[in-house]
Amino acid sequence: MDIIFIIVVVFLLLNIALGLFRVWRGPTVADRLLTTQLFGTTGMAILLVLAGYLKDLNLLNVAITFNVLAILLVIGLVQVWKKKKGESP
Amino acid sequence: MMIKEVITVILLVVGCFFFLAGTLGVLRFPDLFSRLHALTKADNLGLGFIAAAMALHIGSPWAALKIFSIWFFTLLASSTSCYLIARFQKEKDQPTDRKEVE
Amino acid sequence: MSVLIDIILAILAIYLAFQSLLAKRLTQTVFIFFAFGLALALAWVRLGAIDVAITEAAIAAGFMGVLFLDALRDFSPRTSNNQEKTEAAKDIFSKKNTKSLLLPRVALVLGLVLFLLISLEAIWNIPDGGGLTVSVETMLPESGVEHPVTAVLLNFRAYDTWLEIGVILLGLLAIFATGGIKLYLKPDVPAQDILLRQVILFFTPILFLFGAFLLYIGKSGPGGAFQAGVLWAAIGILLHLGGKPVFSMIPRWLGQLLLTLGLGFFLLLGFILMAGGATLFEYPPAYAGVLILIVETLAAISIAAALTAIFANLNQMQEKPNDIESTT
Repeated sequence: MDIIFIIVVVFLLLNIALGLFRVWRGPTVADRLLTTQLFGTTGMAILLVLAGYLKDLNLLNVAITFNVLAILLVIGLVQVWKKKKGESP
Repeated sequence: MMIKEVITVILLVVGCFFFLAGTLGVLRFPDLFSRLHALTKADNLGLGFIAAAMALHIGSPWAALKIFSIWFFTLLASSTSCYLIARFQKEKDQPTDRKEVE
Repeated sequence: MSVLIDIILAILAIYLAFQSLLAKRLTQTVFIFFAFGLALALAWVRLGAIDVAITEAAIAAGFMGVLFLDALRDFSPRTSNNQEKTEAAKDIFSKKNTKSLLLPRVALVLGLVLFLLISLEAIWNIPDGGGLTVSVETMLPESGVEHPVTAVLLNFRAYDTWLEIGVILLGLLAIFATGGIKLYLKPDVPAQDILLRQVILFFTPILFLFGAFLLYIGKSGPGGAFQAGVLWAAIGILLHLGGKPVFSMIPRWLGQLLLTLGLGFFLLLGFILMAGGATLFEYPPAYAGVLILIVETLAAISIAAALTAIFANLNQMQEKPNDIESTT
């Protein structure tokens, strides 16, 4: 059973590494923000699997923190960059 | 006992498939809106499957409740951020689009 | 077999660290840095330091991320249409100047070799018997908490933690000093978008509850004042971004009180203990648990207030010219 968890974690990590290519290619800022979202969601999945593998429920708190900062970054980008519109119409 | 493990493994594999689909979508789709679609839908479905597998594996009701509340918040945050990013990009492309509507 | 996870994580973290230094465009650098912070958080989880993982994720990727996005807006060209052109021009410019990068590269390689030698030496000289773990474990019953990290941070080495809270406050004072006296603007118009407003309203109580949960669980597991403080600071930042800057809505004295509460109470407690004949932060074992909880709560409030004020001031500094323009 443990070996399946390890394979899943490794697979998800490779997933993240693959998705990070969008940081280089993505033409706009929003595209690059997508990779942070990808990392956030996949990282939460990794943490959930690790919580099952290590039998340590404290890892769930880290997962909630990942979720919080993902939404914080999105609202940060949207609200901070939107004010730029008002400056130079 | 055996059946529980088999179900856990199946759920994990299905979740991994959706994560792979989401990543490929982010890499291969032509514009931001399709990429958003791939990322925020497929990945959250994958997270749901993995959350279900882990709730089953850990087996305590308290942990299951916590895992599912995590998934619920993620759904909420992810769909909202999908909408926000899409609207941000749309307003950037067409600056005077919906100022009056709001 | 689980070494495979560690190897991939290590390669990912080191690669992202290099790329965040070497990437050509500023936006790439910033977003690679976020990914680096998250990879580092996963690495801390693998190392068993869940306290550090939460702090790393919340500060390095969350709080620093919002500050970076704010700074990135100032560095990006004013007219967003020309952004791609100027970035392309920047690429050509940097390609022409590769020769001048020779010296930094040599310095980087030398620094890397030095770092490797130092870390090899550090690994070689690990003390037998697990360092200070044993002495912490033996003193744990007297500390008033069950989690060794919290015991070290708030009882055995409380002096360090007190100074750390002071450092955050000092950073805020430096920003005050560079930003001028005019600090808090009037409340902005609330966010126009109804979904954004609702999601901020929905996440505020959840973040508060989760922060309080982390604060309380710090007694017996990973969590504590810094983690709770950062999560509460996320509330302040979200409210600020939603057009309700907290510090301009509460009275000025209340803001000052919130900022200095943690540091002040910590110091006062230390002096009272000294007056009772103990050393600076030597809690009486009977009351240690309660005192630590109070100190942690107040410290978390102060950290949250300081981080919120840092973000609010940095975010408003570049808006000042705009504000003056609109008033004249």
